[in-house]
Amino acid sequence: MSHTRTGPVVSFDNVSKHYGSLKAVERLSLELRGGETVALLGPNGAGKSTSLDMLLALRKPTSGEIRMFGDDPYHAVKSGRVGAMLQSGGLMPEVTVRELVTLVAGLHPKPIPVDKTLRAAGIDSVADQRVDRLSGGQTQRVRFALAIAGECDLIVLDEPTTAMDVETRQRFWASMKEEVAEGRTLLFATHYLEEADQAADRILVINRGRLLADGTPEEIKKRAGAKRMSFRLPHVPEQALLGLPGLVSLETRHDLVHIQTSDSDATLYALLDAGHRPSEIEVGSLGLEQAFLAITAEDDDRAGEEPAAAAR
Amino acid sequence: MRGILMLTQAEINRLRRNRRYLIFTVGLPVILYLIIGKQATSKAYGVDFAAYYMVAMATFGAFAGALNGNSIRISEERKVGWIRQLRLTPLPANAYVVAKILTSMATTIPSIVIVLLLGRFYGGVHLAAWQWLVIAVIVWLGSTIFAALAVAVGYRFPPDQVQPITMLLYFAFTILGGIWFPLGGVLQTIGKGTPTYEAVRISTDVIGNVSVPYGLVIGLVIWLAIFAGLATLSVRSMAEAV
Repeated sequence: MSHTRTGPVVSFDNVSKHYGSLKAVERLSLELRGGETVALLGPNGAGKSTSLDMLLALRKPTSGEIRMFGDDPYHAVKSGRVGAMLQSGGLMPEVTVRELVTLVAGLHPKPIPVDKTLRAAGIDSVADQRVDRLSGGQTQRVRFALAIAGECDLIVLDEPTTAMDVETRQRFWASMKEEVAEGRTLLFATHYLEEADQAADRILVINRGRLLADGTPEEIKKRAGAKRMSFRLPHVPEQALLGLPGLVSLETRHDLVHIQTSDSDATLYALLDAGHRPSEIEVGSLGLEQAFLAITAEDDDRAGEEPAAAAR
Repeated sequence: MRGILMLTQAEINRLRRNRRYLIFTVGLPVILYLIIGKQATSKAYGVDFAAYYMVAMATFGAFAGALNGNSIRISEERKVGWIRQLRLTPLPANAYVVAKILTSMATTIPSIVIVLLLGRFYGGVHLAAWQWLVIAVIVWLGSTIFAALAVAVGYRFPPDQVQPITMLLYFAFTILGGIWFPLGGVLQTIGKGTPTYEAVRISTDVIGNVSVPYGLVIGLVIWLAIFAGLATLSVRSMAEAV
């Protein structure tokens, strides 16, 4: 544990993963510190799973370097300091839940008592059922139980609540908070924005294999332009509006102006101070979802321009 | 090592509960021996038919168990993601394959012992102690090399393709290996290179107390090298796709 307090728990240094011409992950650099709960947030196909696969030594980066606890991923995983649950991870068929959890706990250098793990994952009631006869949500919780079957310093979860209903999901995050309270570092991938907002104290936004934003949920919202504003303002050139303070994006259609701003008050005062008198002013707050969409849309726009620029 | 043994223990427990596996490894050879073992009075490969059929059935159960038991399971476990899941544990990367092969080696022993006991007490086969021991070991080693072939096939192909491929290999090595009936003529010319034939012939030569041609033993070693090589290639090529 002392190590997790000093150096980074996880570091990606310029990591890329290419499949032919497809750039699944592109020059990704990041660091996780001990005790953090970090959400890796991105749409489907953003490179989340590929990144986690590389972190867990299931895939090798095309270039760049990944370190975990100062070691290479394979040896870090084999040291038992990481508990992981992947979307694509499956269960050994034909055994009971208890047998499976007992087996996996036994493979750990520091196993946790099986009954405690079963309770923490909420599967003590199905402990004697065969794993191939469970529902999707139960299967998911068994996979979670395998991730926490041994004492570990880092927990990695890929879309952990996918097959869970609302109630199960809440119970899941409650038990997850207990794990984190014991000083563990948690990294989870999700495309549920709510989940990232509520559970994480840091969010990494990833799209098309690249890291777009890194900060607390509040910072992410701010960075994308946390407020949305619209008004009518005839006969004013766009250039006159571009210098407004806090402005993140600007869109005009005839006399209708749509603005995203990190500080709606400042933007509005500056507009009025400049002598403009807009009408039909609407100011709305931008949730994390819109913030996220704004950040990724901005990125997709840039991506759209690149080939065109190259063609010229 | 302790982890690999734990995984092997779990695999053995699973197989013991699996009826299909028990039918292939124990049920079928025992039933065939009861029906056919004492029917023929002729000699086969220079020994009594009952003695030949005993080693043939012991080889049959053991090799079928090693091949059928593993190939389909490995392919399915790869598909559901169990192999990926195991790679997230502190077990070394090759532990899964090692445990599968150890499991095969362990679970074919009872089926071989049962058929040999049947040969002794039902078929009336009388051998010296060393002969029993040697044929048991030969049949055991000759059959469990099929665990390596099962790894090669199970890793390489998805479940729906593994099924027919395994059946094809199963019948080819059974018939060309002279398991169901002793080979002669053209079939023997083709079949005498198979590992199943080699295991049976080494055993019948031991029973007949004649010297075993080196070619048969070398043949088994070559097959082991081929199957192990194929298994290694399959596992390597799928390393990023499990």
